[in-house]
Amino acid sequence: MGKSRGLRTFAMILGPGVLLSACDGPQSALSATGADAIAMEGLFWVMLIGATLIWILINGLIYYVTRVYTGSLSPRLAHGLIVGGGIIFPLVVVTSLLVYGLSAMPEQRAMGDGVKLRITGEQWWWRVEYWPEGADPANPPVAVSANEIRLPAGSRAEIELTAAKVIHSFWIPALGGKLDMFPGRVTRMSLKPLSVGVYRGQCAEFCGQSHALMALNAVVMEPGDFDAWLKAEAQDAAPPKGYAATRGAEIFAQQGCGACHAVRGTPARGGVGPDLTHLGGRTSLAAGILPMDREALMKWILSPASLKPGARMPGYDHLEREDLSALATYLEGLK
Amino acid sequence: MARRQWTSGEADRAEFREERRSLFRITVAPTIWALHFAASYAVAGLTCARLADDGPDVVLMRLVIGAGTLVALGLIVWLGWRSWQQWDASDEGRRLDDQPTSRDRHRFLGHAAFLLSIVSFIGVIYTVLPVLLIGSCL
Ligand code: HEC
Ligand SMILES: [Cu+2]
Repeated sequence: MGKSRGLRTFAMILGPGVLLSACDGPQSALSATGADAIAMEGLFWVMLIGATLIWILINGLIYYVTRVYTGSLSPRLAHGLIVGGGIIFPLVVVTSLLVYGLSAMPEQRAMGDGVKLRITGEQWWWRVEYWPEGADPANPPVAVSANEIRLPAGSRAEIELTAAKVIHSFWIPALGGKLDMFPGRVTRMSLKPLSVGVYRGQCAEFCGQSHALMALNAVVMEPGDFDAWLKAEAQDAAPPKGYAATRGAEIFAQQGCGACHAVRGTPARGGVGPDLTHLGGRTSLAAGILPMDREALMKWILSPASLKPGARMPGYDHLEREDLSALATYLEGLK
Repeated sequence: MARRQWTSGEADRAEFREERRSLFRITVAPTIWALHFAASYAVAGLTCARLADDGPDVVLMRLVIGAGTLVALGLIVWLGWRSWQQWDASDEGRRLDDQPTSRDRHRFLGHAAFLLSIVSFIGVIYTVLPVLLIGSCL
């Protein structure tokens, strides 16, 4: 009896601890590094600790009046408890939480003052377009990319969200709150990342078969590095270097990949699938599900649907292994 | 079994008329809250959807809602004051209304109206907090 109770207490203390330790890592609202996520993390802890204290207080009172002191209470005390604990205390708590929560909101919704992004939710990947600071978003974007966003640390980026066919939701927990993306409608948010690093985002609204496989990395860079990166990202693709890469570019053209994919600076102009101009420079492949390396590229081209059920890209299992490998070399070289 | 105390028909009717009125009065404060709520959301919604996200339109919208709030709160305070008096209609200094008498019924309706004015007052303040703390439509 004594032993099992000790064990239970131990589990009760350990359980939440184990759960909380899983809240670390690149995709956690509890290791916030963006200004908005930090504000929300603060709100979360205030709520959690406050709710725990109230829970302990209420249960302590119940324990007290049922186990410790079972005599009668004076009507005055009872009345005071009802008015004080039942009306005034909740009123003060709810009002302060409301004021605290509401006063945190304007900052969360502030207009961006730096780079502008437009992110479109597709099944099951992200189309990403960039306008540098001060550019008019009525003009065409300076750079088109996919499945990864890059942001400069320390400034607030303005982000427009929309979707192609079905509703998705854009969420990078370490940087800020989530917002739905609707077909035919533009919603906006802004993010102010504060520390350099790679964070992970995930589509947060069920959008079909491979919804769970629709993720992306957010790479936060020093402002200077970011400017250099954006300049490079706006450039056309580097011409293939070496025999294998050149062979890969030929296969890419022969197989008609360019009907769906754009590689700027080449005849490939398709807009159905992700822009591949600087594919090799990204931190992951196929919307956050694979590493960016030759192995993964070959596996993906061979059979996208076996890695991502329902993927809107045909498999190329008729290609020779050398050809697949050349194709992967070419794509990996598109930095 | 308590026996009913019958008074003359005249007095009955007068009493019922008065009680009907205070029965109606207890709904007034929550109704003011509801109207204030609907009007505030309509004004904010129309401004943000049809005019600008920021700037003078929003300032005007906040002023309009602010003025409406002062009117609503003023009315609720007045109603609260009247029902407070109705609740304490006696000169005995006791605020009890638990007897099956017409006087206690009268007081009870005042009591209920008073509590509802407090709830409505808080409701109006909660409704208007976003206008106070959030300065734009964004
Ligand atoms: C019918 C249109 C279509 C064709 C043809 C096509 N793709 Fe794709 N491709 C897509 C779509 C759609 C995606 C995104 C799939 C997803 O992640 O859900 C994709 C994704 C990719 C990706 C991953 C991109 C990223 O951002 O990580 C690569 C690499 C790729 N395709 C290469 C190729 C190659 C090489 C060929 C030709 C051998 C090809 N594709 C042919 C539609 C196509
Ligand atoms: Cu989804």
